[in-house]
Formats: sequence, C-alpha cells, structure tokens
Amino acid sequence: MNGWMGKIIKIDLSTGKQETVEIDDNIRRKYLGGRGLGVKLYTEICSPQTEPLCPQNALIFLTGPLTAVMPTSGRFHVISRSPLTNTICDSSSGGIFGAELKKTGLDGFIVTGKAAKPVYLNITDNGIEIRNAEHFWGLNTQQTKEAIIKETKAGSSVASIGPAGENKVLFAAIMNDKDRTAGRGGMGAVMGSKNLKAVVVKGTGKVSVNDPDALKAFLPKLDRLIDKNPITGKSLQLMGTSVLVNVMNAHGLYPTRNFQGGVFNDAEGVSGEKLSENFVHKKSACYKCPIACGRTTKTANKEGEGPEYETLWAFGAQLGVNDLTAITEANYVCNELGLDTITCGSTIGCAMELYEKGVFPFELKWGDADKLVKLVEDIAYKRGIGTELSLGSKRLAEKYGRPELAMQVKGMEIPAYDPRGVQGQALSYATNNRGGCHIKAYMIGPEILGSPVFLDRFATKGKAEIVALLQDISAMVDSIILCRFLQFAMSPSTFAEMLNIVTGLDFTDDELLKIGKRIYTLERKFNIEAGFTRKDDTLPPRFLNEFLPEGASRNRIVKLDEMLDRYYKIRGWDKNGVPTDETLKELEI
Amino acid sequence: MENCDINKIAKMIDHTELKSNSGQKKILNLCNEAKMFGFVSVCINPAYVKFAYEQLKDSGVLVCSVIGFPLGMNTSKLKALEAEQAVSDGAKEIDMVINVGAMRDKKYDFVKDDIKQVVESSSPSHVKVIMETCYLTDDEIVKACQLAVEAGAHFVKTSTGFGAFGAFPHHVKLMRETVGPDIGVKAAGGISNFKDAIRLINAGANRLGTSAGVMILEGAKLFKFAPEAWLEPEIPCHICPSRHATMAKLPKAVYTYYKKKCLTCEHREKYNRFYD
Repeated sequence: MNGWMGKIIKIDLSTGKQETVEIDDNIRRKYLGGRGLGVKLYTEICSPQTEPLCPQNALIFLTGPLTAVMPTSGRFHVISRSPLTNTICDSSSGGIFGAELKKTGLDGFIVTGKAAKPVYLNITDNGIEIRNAEHFWGLNTQQTKEAIIKETKAGSSVASIGPAGENKVLFAAIMNDKDRTAGRGGMGAVMGSKNLKAVVVKGTGKVSVNDPDALKAFLPKLDRLIDKNPITGKSLQLMGTSVLVNVMNAHGLYPTRNFQGGVFNDAEGVSGEKLSENFVHKKSACYKCPIACGRTTKTANKEGEGPEYETLWAFGAQLGVNDLTAITEANYVCNELGLDTITCGSTIGCAMELYEKGVFPFELKWGDADKLVKLVEDIAYKRGIGTELSLGSKRLAEKYGRPELAMQVKGMEIPAYDPRGVQGQALSYATNNRGGCHIKAYMIGPEILGSPVFLDRFATKGKAEIVALLQDISAMVDSIILCRFLQFAMSPSTFAEMLNIVTGLDFTDDELLKIGKRIYTLERKFNIEAGFTRKDDTLPPRFLNEFLPEGASRNRIVKLDEMLDRYYKIRGWDKNGVPTDETLKELEI
Repeated sequence: MENCDINKIAKMIDHTELKSNSGQKKILNLCNEAKMFGFVSVCINPAYVKFAYEQLKDSGVLVCSVIGFPLGMNTSKLKALEAEQAVSDGAKEIDMVINVGAMRDKKYDFVKDDIKQVVESSSPSHVKVIMETCYLTDDEIVKACQLAVEAGAHFVKTSTGFGAFGAFPHHVKLMRETVGPDIGVKAAGGISNFKDAIRLINAGANRLGTSAGVMILEGAKLFKFAPEAWLEPEIPCHICPSRHATMAKLPKAVYTYYKKKCLTCEHREKYNRFYD
C-alpha cells in the first residue's frame, strides 16, 4: 500500500485490550485519513449520546496519506467529541509527532475506556505498550516530555496533557514536541478523562511512495508555489502569524475588550514587529516545512514558543493588555499547563466585561496584565476564580445571567477577527461544525489578504458559495494532512497531483472536493443528531445588532440572514440546516 | 472569458521580474517557473537577457526585454541601441517606454519617431509600447495608441508597474477599441490574482505582464468551483483609475482630470461609501 501504512490500532484503556481496526479500501478512498477518516471512525464507534468525558468516548489520533512524505507533513489530527462544545471535533497540531507516529507503521490509533491509574502509551515499530504514568501525573507538558524521553528513546516525539488536561478543564489542549498544540475543543480534557497522560512515538519505518521519481520532479514545483505566494513565501517566513496584528487593526477588525471595539490603540506595541524586535531569537519549523512560521522567543525570565497571532490578541487586545512581556509569558504558561490560549484569553475577557457590567464578583479590570499568569494557573488547576473560568465563556456568562457577553459559537470562542467587518468570515464562524473557529473556512484570505482573489469584505452576495467551498477544501486538506498554510499557495488540483504521486491512485480535484463535502456533511449529521439546530448557526447578538464604533469597519454589523439560507441550499441541507436524504445519498454517507 | 482556461491564461503571461534589486538567482527561478508553468515569456531588464536566453533556449519560452525602462526618458538613439543589443542577446520581444513628457507636450512626431527607431532596431523581434496610462488622459491614451500603430509597433501596453498605478479595465478597453483586433494589447502593473487577470482579458487584453503568474494560475484552478462568486463584482470604484489617482503621485492636470471624472461619475451616488 502506498501512502497509507494500512494499520490502525484500537486500544481500550479499561481492559488494556488492543485490536486492529480493518479499514476497507473504499472507506480510505472516501475519507482519506486525518479528520475525514477520524470522523468516519468516530461516528461508527460512538453515538451522539456518548458524553465527551465518559470512558465510552473515543479519542482518535490519525495521520494522513501524505504524512511523513511531503513538506509540512508532520501534522496529525485528534478527533473526538468536544467537552467544550458537545459537537464532534477535530483538533490539529504540527511538529514531528505525526511523522514519527506514521514511521512506527501505524496510520493512527483509537483510545477508548479509562485506565485505572495514569498511563502513557509508548508506540514504536513493535507496537503499542501501555506504561505507568503515575510518577508523571502533575508535571507540566515540558517536564513530561523530558521525563518520558528519559524513560523511552532519545529523539522520540511526545504528545501530552498538562495539569489542565488532568483536571479536565474544558479547553485543555494536547501539547506535542514542546510547544505544538492540538488546542481547540478540549481534546486534552478527553485525554485526561481517560487517565492518559501522554503518548510517545518513535518509528524507523518509511512510507511507501508509488512514484518516487515523480515525487522528486514535483518538489521543485512545490517550492516555487510556496515561494511565489506572498503569504507563504514572505509574510509567514519573515514574521510568522503575528504579522497580522497591524493588518487587522488597520482594517478595524482587531477585537478589543471582548469585541466591544475593532481597533486597539496600543496594537503597535503588541504587534508582530515589536515581538520580532524584542523577543524573537530564532525561527522554528515543523517537519519538512520550508515556511518555518514558528518563533522561539525569550523574555527576561523565560523562553518558549510564540505567542502567535491569536494568542497575542487573546491575552492582549481582548483584555485591553498592552504589556508584551505579560502576553508572552501567559502564552508560555498556557503551553506548559496545556490550555487553548484562544478560549482561555477570550473567557478572561468575558469575565472582565461581566465585572465591568457589575455582575461578576471577582475584580478583573481591563488591562490588568499583572494578573494574567496567575489567572492562567488558577484556570489550569481549577483554583478559586479559575474554577469558574475553566468552564469557558459560554457557561460562565450563562451562570451570571448575561449569556450574550460570551463571544462564542456553539460554545467555542471566536478568535481574533471581528466578524462585523468580514461578512464571509462571519458566516464561516456561524456554520462551523466545531463552533467559533477561524480556520475551517479562512475567509480572511479572500476578504482581507486577497488570497486567492480579493472579495468585497462588506458584501454578502457570493459569500455562501465561497464559505462552503473553503470548508470543503479545508476538510480535505485536514484529511490528506498537510499544513493549512499550503492552501494559500495551492489549489485542490495540486493537492490531487501530490496525492496521486504518493498513492498511485487517480484522484481529481472534483473528487477531493466531494470528499471534503462528505466529511463536512457527516460532521453536520452527527451534530444534528446530537441536538444542534439552525438556531445554533448564529453569532452572539453583539455582532448582529451593535455597530462597530470606530475604525475601518465602523458602523458595520453582520448580515447573517442574507447568507444563511443560501448557504444551506448550496450545502444541500433543508431550511433547518439538516442534510437532506438526497444529499446524504449523493455523498454516499 | 467565459471559461477560465488555465493553459490559455498561461500563454498570455509575460512572467516578469524587473526590480532593481533582483539578482541572478531570481532570474534563474523566473526562467524555471516560466518553463514549469508554461508562460509565454519572461520579461526582464536588459542586463539579464543573455543569461535568460541561455536558460530558455529550446524551451519555447521567449525572452522579453524592457527598454528605456522605467521612465522612458532616454534619447531615442540610446533606446534604439539598447533594443538592438537586447535583440542580439536573445530577446524576441521588446517592451519600450515612450517619452511620456513629450506625449503630454503633444510632440507627436517626436513620440512616433522615438517608437519607430526602436521598432526598426528591434526587427524581427516584436515591440510593445508602454504608454504609462496613469499619467495620461483618455484622449492622450487614444492618441498614443494611434502613434504606436503608425510607428509599426506590434503591441500597446498600459504600464511599467513603477508609475502611480497599473492596469485598469477602463484603459485596456479604450486601447483595444483604438488599435483594433490586429494589434496586441498588454496589461501590466498591479495584476495580482486571477480576478484581475480575467477582468483585463475581458476588457480586451491578450497579454498580461505580472510577477504573480504562478499565483494567478494556481488560483484560477479554483475558479470552476464557484465561478460567479469569485467574480462577484466589487463596487465600481475598486477598479476605476479615478479612485486610485492620488495627488502626491500625479501631475496636477492629470489628477484634476481623474477627480473631475470621479465627481461626475454615474456610480457616485450609489457607491460613495468611501466618501461618507
């Protein structure tokens, strides 16, 4: 078999029993790997009644057919049901973990059950071994990595949870290779609920490629595609994702003080430029990645990775904080303790507005940088005020009677682009299967960055078509698994070319798009069966009713009603957002 | 262009690298990309013509050299010499810049002779005449096109990419209407994606000068999945030269000309959100 390793192991931590999961060639062709295959397997193992933190819930780690072969292919996806949103959820991370996992001879593994005491999985060419992790419980992710590598093999890749995951914080992340994060949706909490502290992988195998000569001939073309795109060939290489701070602020899209405004007056001081000048000391890259968007940074006290754009915002403008050191160190602590920075910062911002409105009993003021690190620690350890914040903004705001102050969709916090100035991104947030996430259809590309073309960001016409298209492309890229940044530089037909070189099959761009649509629709079907409806495809009332007060998106609100029906129609869903029988049949779901 | 034919677009693109800071490696990459993606030519400065020719011989990709670039203010004799040298170094296409100042001074005989000298010294290679449309009024663009045709040029071209703004469909349409179907129209300057490219082709361009050709082709492969949505018209101001005319970069008379057009534009009432 070319591309795939042809083996997935299911391991029940309650019993220690392992079994090989047979994947039919037809299923592999229809769902590829990563997110797609993960969603397919998840819906077969679990039902919409499976609670996210119960032992019966499955936690699936998968690579894709291009993993460990192509540039940017060190990634892996984790698929489960999110304890934060209750939706089906996939979370992705870079580094080298995906490549190392595949080199062990596995496409991935599925974890069910719950270990009686903390364990970790040691995965090598010889298979999966369950090992005692009691002595690692309580360690942060960096300490865990170092300790486990001492116990296993140098050069291994470790994915672990920190105290946040152990304490089942609803937005706990899985951290791998030190500072790479499967951040969104609380996959770390699912891992913690299984008493699974870590997974360590080290393989020596190779992925079989159908046509190595064609691969060798193709790589220079890939290099040119990446280099000639100004985003992948220049901006990300020079400054990483933090290049976006000044861009979004200039467009009046930089959410400030829990999205009360779209312009942060102190943005220059917390920008990518300032980060580069004062904190960055080297670039870092994932497996075989020529872009190298990662940034290793140093403050006076610490060293670590990031912060990236979303985190600069979450601990900066979202909280009215203009202290770059405090933001950077809060990011380090999130990485160490294993928290999603976006939800963490946004939830603190929600609490600050609740306090401002006089309904939150703990003093939390805008711009209070000194409290940041302590707050993050309290959240991870569920101490004091942190116990409430550990629930995420939706549950917090509901508890204090002001649900409208949580800037979330389906329970997941919206990241650093105010949707009022980008109508397509607004629709993307509202319809995303895992909630308020920006990357499943990154409309900032066409609406702000002009990639692949500029679309009028204030217009609603035509946006439903593009959002659905980008959602399908993203689902496909998440399943072959390559870095999403390649989407800026490459079309589906180029992805098909890569896939065919590696697998020897005959995918076309049309087929890949259909696969993307199938994956997206299957996720939707699961969510509908879990109780989600059209009313969940919406945005916080602030975006629908309150005009942005200043900046280049001043006087704008989201016109969701102008786009949603059209979006459903394009998707082949009925007026309630339910996939029709015809659609399911057409997509062979 | 009803269908976005990738190969057809590739064969319209002069793959361009004209920056003063471009080293040989960039030109090498440019040549390799042109071969890889099937562009009609590479458009480069004269200093690299020989090198590019060596890279591209037998590939089918032409070498195009700019002349009197980017200001067009060299003497006619020097432009002719520069073109002669470029042709002898391997250039099959010559993109010359007219003397824009002379054009604005209405020294039409001079402008025509300037073009003619380059055409003659470039033969049998083809000559494209860059008129730097951003500095001319519509009437002057029409006149410059007529002079280029009379002087024996094979193409008229909008811009150098170094002026106040680049190619707009309005200018391309005007040029195509003036020169008719037998002379080429090249749009250049600010063409960064397939939407720009298709608009200019639809306006009458049959050649595009851009450094974004690789991105344009790759992006165009997405066109078929949502053709109407990708080409959804933006407000007319986005592609109107009047909107892009800035006081700092344009001669007073040209700036006033464009702004006057803007103030009397039929779309102003409906699309004046930039001015509220």
